Amino acid sequence: MLIPLDMLKPGEWADVAEVGGDSAWVVRLAELGLREGCRLQVLQPGSTCLLKIANCRLCLRSGESSQILVMPVRG
Amino acid sequence: MTPNTITVALVGNPNAGKSTLFNALSGLRQQVGNYPGVTVEMKKGHFTVGDIRVNLIDLPGTYSLAARSPDELVAVDLLLGRLPDEPAPDVVLSIVDASNLDRHLYLTTQLLELGKPVVVAVNMVDLAATQGIGVDCAALSRDFGIPFLPVQANRGVGLDVLQEKLLEAAKSGTAPEPLALPAALEHETTRLVVKLGTAVSPFQARRLILDVNGATEQWFVAKLGDGLSQSLGEIRARLAAAGCPVPAVEARTRFARIREVVAKCVSKPTIRPVNRTDRIDRVLTHRLWGSLFFFAVLFLVFVSIFWAAKPLMDLIDQATKWLSSLVEGAMPVGPLRSLITSGIIAGVGGVLKFLPQILILFAFIAVLEDCGYMARAAFLMDRIMSRCGLSGKSFIPLLSSVACAIPGIMATRVIENRRDRLATILVAPLISCSARLPVYGLMISLFLPAEIYSALTQGLMLFGMYMVGFIAAPVVSLVLRKTLLRGERSLFVMELPAYKRPSPPMILRRVIDAGWSFVRRAGTVILATMILVWAALYFPHNSPDGFGFDERAEVLSDVAKSTDDDVRDKLGDKPIESELAKLGLDVTKPPEEIREEAGKRARATKAEHQRQSYLGRTGRALEPVFEPLGWDWRIGVAALASFPAREVIVGTMAILYEVEVDENNDPLVSAIRADWDTSSVRGRHRIPVALSVMVFFALCCQCASTLAVIHRETRSWLWPTFTFVYMTVLAYAGAFVVFQVGRLIWN
Repeated sequence: MLIPLDMLKPGEWADVAEVGGDSAWVVRLAELGLREGCRLQVLQPGSTCLLKIANCRLCLRSGESSQILVMPVRG
Repeated sequence: MTPNTITVALVGNPNAGKSTLFNALSGLRQQVGNYPGVTVEMKKGHFTVGDIRVNLIDLPGTYSLAARSPDELVAVDLLLGRLPDEPAPDVVLSIVDASNLDRHLYLTTQLLELGKPVVVAVNMVDLAATQGIGVDCAALSRDFGIPFLPVQANRGVGLDVLQEKLLEAAKSGTAPEPLALPAALEHETTRLVVKLGTAVSPFQARRLILDVNGATEQWFVAKLGDGLSQSLGEIRARLAAAGCPVPAVEARTRFARIREVVAKCVSKPTIRPVNRTDRIDRVLTHRLWGSLFFFAVLFLVFVSIFWAAKPLMDLIDQATKWLSSLVEGAMPVGPLRSLITSGIIAGVGGVLKFLPQILILFAFIAVLEDCGYMARAAFLMDRIMSRCGLSGKSFIPLLSSVACAIPGIMATRVIENRRDRLATILVAPLISCSARLPVYGLMISLFLPAEIYSALTQGLMLFGMYMVGFIAAPVVSLVLRKTLLRGERSLFVMELPAYKRPSPPMILRRVIDAGWSFVRRAGTVILATMILVWAALYFPHNSPDGFGFDERAEVLSDVAKSTDDDVRDKLGDKPIESELAKLGLDVTKPPEEIREEAGKRARATKAEHQRQSYLGRTGRALEPVFEPLGWDWRIGVAALASFPAREVIVGTMAILYEVEVDENNDPLVSAIRADWDTSSVRGRHRIPVALSVMVFFALCCQCASTLAVIHRETRSWLWPTFTFVYMTVLAYAGAFVVFQVGRLIWN
């Protein structure tokens, strides 16, 4: 089941299924490592959330994170 | 250029350890290059290997060569050798983080297309190893056809081999094989190059196609006309039809290749170990604990600024006093001595006194930034900042503005969104900077005398003054974002670097830079203003009946200061007697009364001198403007004189009240208090008047350097003018309200 990124709870792992939004923004996120197929963990939830992707920590706002659909997986 | 000089450009993602590698390679032999018209700063350094000199250029950290702003375009132009004053680099040195190879290699694959030899430094291999990540550099070198070298920049490990490979690459000069992009894209690129001719290189043509509405496109459309954007639209439509949607195709192709190579060359642990940064972040990015920690850090910073700097500030005070007494001993009494002691030494010394506080503040900011904590603070503050139309990225510039708005405004360069950046620049001068401290200090000791009020009360008042800026800045930015700077909601994404031990040389360098620019400012702008203020208050210095005001005041105060015997002597002396008569002193009176009378007249003469001076005339003409704020012409003049640099107020007040500022400002405070007591308004409403002066200084943009920096960063005169006007209006309104309301409260 795909859910928006901002619905994940702290500590949960997920695979990114789809990154929505303006294409330049999608490329920007991809450059930062957030792209379809990557695995992430939510470190801090909320409207500005903190994610761990590979060895990087990214923070983004819910407006942006709700456009990202993920498939929750077990860490 | 001699053949035994080569140029190397250092490129890498932010947080890849680029500055560390740059410092490790070039040591102290470096300088910052500024480019006219743009805000990019490129550090330059050099080192020698054998008899070959290697010039190293450190480009700003970037995730991609897709230029988003004219500033980023300059970096790309430098790599392509298209900057007129810069030699094209012979070798591109790409630095990547061993623990984040898949992401950092994205930029490296773009560098392969520049047509220059590329050498890759795989940094922090030791740290990756502790996380169980193994990088096979030999395999990576084979796969990409360029040298991949393991290094530990912070310990200087692997640098010898790196230098050797850089020379080898420069000697061979062979460009690497670029990563294969889809044939349709390469076909369109070639066609575009043919169509546009020599104006465009293949690299630029590719960026033109891929970066939708990017800086490259804007630049070339401005140069070649709107026909280009139309043909770019057609090209992108054809590519989309061919299954290569722009811009997604670039990320997809590059990451597919990177994933394939990394799978072969990098071994990752099957279980993910929780590392040190994760453990620290669990607390420091926590909503509650992290915020508490952040406020504790802020508190520590402020406490240290006021307490730790005290002994050093006293030392500077003593040095100022010593210098004053030295000048007083060496020079005859006169206007020049008054200029040097009360104008220059007191004015500039009173400003230099704040150097220790500035150094401490900058040291804190440098440590917090270097260890990686600043990004966490920005993350925690993003929620609050987003409510006022800004982002967490605006927070660091605003916090830096507590030291000085200039580094704060320069720190806004990391904000990508143009409107966000502009809003941050425009409100940064509202944050109380260290230059406001002297004004607050003077006014607080004026109405909260230390004999009656504790240091805590004074400290709380000071904190209150800082809050004026901290509240005004978000409110103004919210208003700006809803009116003038209304526009697209900014998208916010930011990387938090891993924590690391701060590097003392780097911090030292930043602190020294900050201190030096402050000293230079005190020696130029403030010194010049003090001299102008002094001159405007000194001239014209002859009274209508031909007496020099200062000479007359001098004689009068000589008489006033003389002993009984002296006065008798002087009275017995014919020329002096006639002079005294000319001064209107009654020689028949007893010496005591003559002395008293002379003292009064000396003060009156000095006051008359100032009142009729150019600045005094201006001040009195403007008195109706200052009156609603509770100010007399003296305060008004001091505020006016402080427009180039607000610190000037202390020195100006010192000249106006004819005291030499020494020993904790006290003579000045009592002189001002004595003067105010003679006035019906300021005697009765001392607190509202002092508050209105402080609020005015808190909200007013009295800093020529800040306006100059805003001009440089926005490349327009509109925004510095706007800042000046809105802040002056805000300051006047704020001071007006405070005085009028305060007058009712403290009646």
